[in-house]
Amino acid sequence: MTARRLAMGLLLGLCAARPAMGQDPRLAGRLDAGTRAAVEALVDSARQGGLPSDPLVTKALEGASKGATGARIVAAVRRLSGDLAAARTALGSGSTAEELVAGAAALRAGASASALQQVRSVRSGATVAVHLAVLADLLADGVPADTAAAAVVALARATVRDADLVAFRQSVDRDIALGASPGAAATVRVNSTARAGDLIMTAVPNAPPRRRP
Amino acid sequence: MAPAPDDAVIVRRVLGGEVDAYARLVERHRDRLARYAVRMLGDPEDAEEALQDAFVRGYRSLATCKDPARFGPWLFRILVNRCRTKVVLRQRRSRTFVRDEVALATAGVAALDERGAWREEIALALGALDPLYREAFLLKHVEELEYEEMAKLTGVRVSALKMRVKRACDRLRDLLQEAESAAR
Amino acid sequence: MRHDDDLIARAVEALREPAAVSPGFDGRVMAAVRAVPRPSRWALAWEWAREPHWLAVSPLGGLALAAGVAGLLALGVWAAVPRGGGVVSADAAAEPGQVVQFVLSAPTARAVALAGDFNSWDWAQTPLVPAGAGVWSVALRLPPGRYTYTFVVDGTRFLADPSAPRAVDDDFGTPSSVVTVGRGAMPDRGRTS
Repeated sequence: MTARRLAMGLLLGLCAARPAMGQDPRLAGRLDAGTRAAVEALVDSARQGGLPSDPLVTKALEGASKGATGARIVAAVRRLSGDLAAARTALGSGSTAEELVAGAAALRAGASASALQQVRSVRSGATVAVHLAVLADLLADGVPADTAAAAVVALARATVRDADLVAFRQSVDRDIALGASPGAAATVRVNSTARAGDLIMTAVPNAPPRRRP
Repeated sequence: MAPAPDDAVIVRRVLGGEVDAYARLVERHRDRLARYAVRMLGDPEDAEEALQDAFVRGYRSLATCKDPARFGPWLFRILVNRCRTKVVLRQRRSRTFVRDEVALATAGVAALDERGAWREEIALALGALDPLYREAFLLKHVEELEYEEMAKLTGVRVSALKMRVKRACDRLRDLLQEAESAAR
Repeated sequence: MRHDDDLIARAVEALREPAAVSPGFDGRVMAAVRAVPRPSRWALAWEWAREPHWLAVSPLGGLALAAGVAGLLALGVWAAVPRGGGVVSADAAAEPGQVVQFVLSAPTARAVALAGDFNSWDWAQTPLVPAGAGVWSVALRLPPGRYTYTFVVDGTRFLADPSAPRAVDDDFGTPSSVVTVGRGAMPDRGRTS
């Protein structure tokens, strides 16, 4: 047995002997002891705070796979935990893990908490995970934050289907690839996509005035 | 807008590295696209420039052509966008060279009187339309697209497109009637 | 086509006549085309893969919607074409989640694998298999959610999926991609706590 394997075995043994709540078997053997302890503490804390723990574990595993230093992994997990908490604050405590993950990504990409709140309030009682994922992707594509948020809120208000949301994002992406500015692409595409939900849209109070083409 | 059956094969050959195979696509689609560009932009040089630009952009983005069998419609969309850009650029340019524009229009009318050519009358009338109306009219009546196809192509609602086509027809009718009266 | 009057009909007839381009137009276009730097295969794959290409999906409309969600969010790619970038196509199925196909064109690679949130970032779990012509592929069934992932080429090189949105939360200095799997035909299910 090599020294590395021996160390790994000892580490695994230590970890197995410690009945900490934050333990996740997937972390075993992937992080050094110090990093693992720090990550587990963060995971524990998040779990106790009602946040999903799985995204934090996978974030740590991502860092381990990519050969990041322990400090960087811990920082990334801590940051994600903060983002998830911020997303929950904006979206509400009843949000699903998928919504929080997508919301955290949107916040990280530059969305405001109020944008998340708007999406939630417009689609109260329904999942907004895909809306938020699309928001994050639009921002990553370079669509200005206000424009991206307005587009997703408009689509949420128009109750377009998940598939149409995705089609919208894809159209924006294609337009950008063909030379359109990200903001213009989103603005133009949101109108045609919102048409799919027009009937429902008109039934929603305080719907914004339709844009005339 | 019906695609030639083997466009897909050519597209794949081009993507596979046979750059020269693209010439087949240029040859095959050139005339159809040229017609739209010339009608839309009026000026043959602008039209050729937009057309060449569309073909080059099409080549550069060929990998994004999701349905190679429909290369023609895909490239047509790029051309429509290039023409829109040309129109915008020309509008900006015309703000700077208003006098030149007036002189050009006057020359056009003079030429019309001399030749009395129906095509020139139409070209002038078409050129007098708002570019959005002109675009809608050409797509509907000259390119014979369905409204749904037009909506996908332009991102504009069907109802708005119908309105544009109607107004384009109304305006064209007025202009052509005027031209015919003047020619008599 | 029906026209309101003869004047418009005559105009349309004239406008449908071919418009000639100047002599040598094709040659000029091809000269310009040849002057375009030949994109690298990866760049080509990226360009191509940014556009979704649909695989055949369930004939059921609702399930097709589900396919749309995953396919589009992940910018699905036409895996049947023996070239090309990454991608995702989706196939709706009765069980929760969707089948997402990851495809990468890597002609010189000896091995390609996938690491992501869905396999604990353990690429040994998810090797791609060669599909011919340098294309590597694997299909995974993913539950609804937003996943970050990356390709791992020859066990040493991390490569973002050229067909998918780039992850903005890149904390570790290597690019990752994102795939979002929606709930397809049932997007409005009540939230769970």
